[in-house]
Amino acid sequence: MISETLKKVILAELDLDDCELREETVASEVPGWDSLSHIGILCAVEKAFKVRFSTLEALRLKNMGDLQALVTQKLKQLSDLSA
Amino acid sequence: MEANLWMQWSRLAEQDPARDAIIHWVDDRADFRWRRDDLLREATQAAAWLKERGVKAGDVCALIIRHEPRFYPLYIGVVRLAAIPAVLAYPNARIHPDKYVDGLVGMSRRSGLDWVLTEQALEPVVGSLVSRPDSSVKGILLPLEGEWPVHPEDSLEPLEVDPRSPCLLQHSSGTTGLQKGVVLSHTAVLGHVQAYAEAVNLQPTDRVVSWLPLYHDMGMIAAFHLSLAAGIPLVQMDPFQWVSAPGLLFEAISREGGTLTWLPNFAYNILADRVHGDDLAAVRLDGMRLFVNCSEPVRSESHQRFLDHFAIAGARPSMLGACYAMAETTFAATQTEPGVPAKVLHVDRDQLARGRVVPAAANGSTRTCVSSGQPIRGCDLFVVGDDGAILGPGQVGELVIQSEWMFDGYRNNPEDTRQSLRSNQYFTGDYGFTLGGEWFVIGRKKDIIIVAGKNLYPEDVEDALLGVQGVLPGRVVAFGLDDGTTGTEEVAVVAETEFRGEKERKALKRAILMAGMAVDVTISKVFLVDPRWLIKSSAGKPSRKANKQRVLDELLTTPRETHDL
Repeated sequence: MISETLKKVILAELDLDDCELREETVASEVPGWDSLSHIGILCAVEKAFKVRFSTLEALRLKNMGDLQALVTQKLKQLSDLSA
Repeated sequence: MEANLWMQWSRLAEQDPARDAIIHWVDDRADFRWRRDDLLREATQAAAWLKERGVKAGDVCALIIRHEPRFYPLYIGVVRLAAIPAVLAYPNARIHPDKYVDGLVGMSRRSGLDWVLTEQALEPVVGSLVSRPDSSVKGILLPLEGEWPVHPEDSLEPLEVDPRSPCLLQHSSGTTGLQKGVVLSHTAVLGHVQAYAEAVNLQPTDRVVSWLPLYHDMGMIAAFHLSLAAGIPLVQMDPFQWVSAPGLLFEAISREGGTLTWLPNFAYNILADRVHGDDLAAVRLDGMRLFVNCSEPVRSESHQRFLDHFAIAGARPSMLGACYAMAETTFAATQTEPGVPAKVLHVDRDQLARGRVVPAAANGSTRTCVSSGQPIRGCDLFVVGDDGAILGPGQVGELVIQSEWMFDGYRNNPEDTRQSLRSNQYFTGDYGFTLGGEWFVIGRKKDIIIVAGKNLYPEDVEDALLGVQGVLPGRVVAFGLDDGTTGTEEVAVVAETEFRGEKERKALKRAILMAGMAVDVTISKVFLVDPRWLIKSSAGKPSRKANKQRVLDELLTTPRETHDL
């Protein structure tokens, strides 16, 4: 399940009004999501959720579900640290 | 240098057969290392395999293959046969297969492609190229699927090739199908590589690291041919992998002891944005001699961001060079001095717009210009005014190049050749000036859009939108807008429409984005405007320049959501 916040961040970065984003959605299915805008999307997601992705983490992302899982994992790490 | 590429590579293999020629780099440390002797042995086998299938000297062989260790001997094998390799981009998932094939057919007509050497996965897409009456392609070959002959010497004659004959075909600006084919001879490539090696003070201890695609002149000549002909190891990365994880460049540099790399300007911004924290822990850039900024306008802010982020890893101003290059002159026309930071000028922006270079006043409007260096050996540059007169230092005009390594003209395209190549002088279509022996490139006479080092013609984008329902016929313009964040340009489109409803306008905007995607162009901004909004040129067609200015003045000063007017 892709969170509404993550969807909003991506749509805003791509300047899109709407687009269906499911776990199995890949970049090539989303208007404007190419290799260059991918970088901007990762930066925007990092900024919105106050997390950082490493090179290898970014490399392993294959679809929206992977990105959501990575964000969730990072947020959990932050939460565990502050607990 | 020897008389042709094969002889040069063979001599180097005889001198030091075990030395690394190409390190095919992948992120999981499963690199493949080609020794010089193994690479040429395998290339000979590839040549024999190609010959068995009918490939002859002079045939143009398009190579459409992803990051793959056997690509290199295959490319060299084509040269061994005295055929002409042309590396083409592998289609990404977003491009429509029919559009891609249409593009290849167009390219085959313009460039005279005889064979397509590709992967099995692409065969269903490109298979129809052979049967189409408008295509010149004789056959689709899948060299990675076959076993190459073990004793190739039995079927190959000694190579006899005129040094002035073509050794490769590069494609310059434009989308697939409309690109101009640039044919280069053995003499041009070897001569240029030698001159450029002097310009970057190439040393036997150098190691080139590159993620650049080999269908781009910067990847093909500066990284690939320079390394192979000069006997310098090349660490070749996967462009697709790099753009997903830019930090891999630093990993490759650190792991392989890289000293030289070429990057388009946007890459400096991307690296600064994406490489941080833990990624930098094992990175050392102290051993680098040169990061050469090329293929896009060089921006001082990008260099500064790079230094601010990576000084901690050993990056220094003296490593940041620049060059001015294009496929038509084989590659470089100018290069900054190695070990010296690219010179920066702060000039009066208004005076510059009037064609004069004047130092910026303290409170005035300032434009920062970064030098692309001085002409390399064998190249002369001139600044020419609108009347054709040669202009002096500090005056802005079109840059014209005279080069010993000039292309012979666009393949099968006499009209464009006549326009650009006059009396062996290449009219670049770029605006610039010279001052103190340094050359500065500041803009373009042509409407070309440069996105991440890739040149696009606005006509191609506009043509792609012809069939979009809701866009008034002929009432659309495309142009590039500077994006300071990414350090490159983005494609913007203004389209007139009679659609009024919010829902149908949203659907139209989406249809425009999708039409761009179908031809592999990412449109970043769509401005929907009312009929008769677009300003016409004197020829009666919408003017890109005037409408771009109108967008900057009227639309981009308003919040993002009101772009859709």
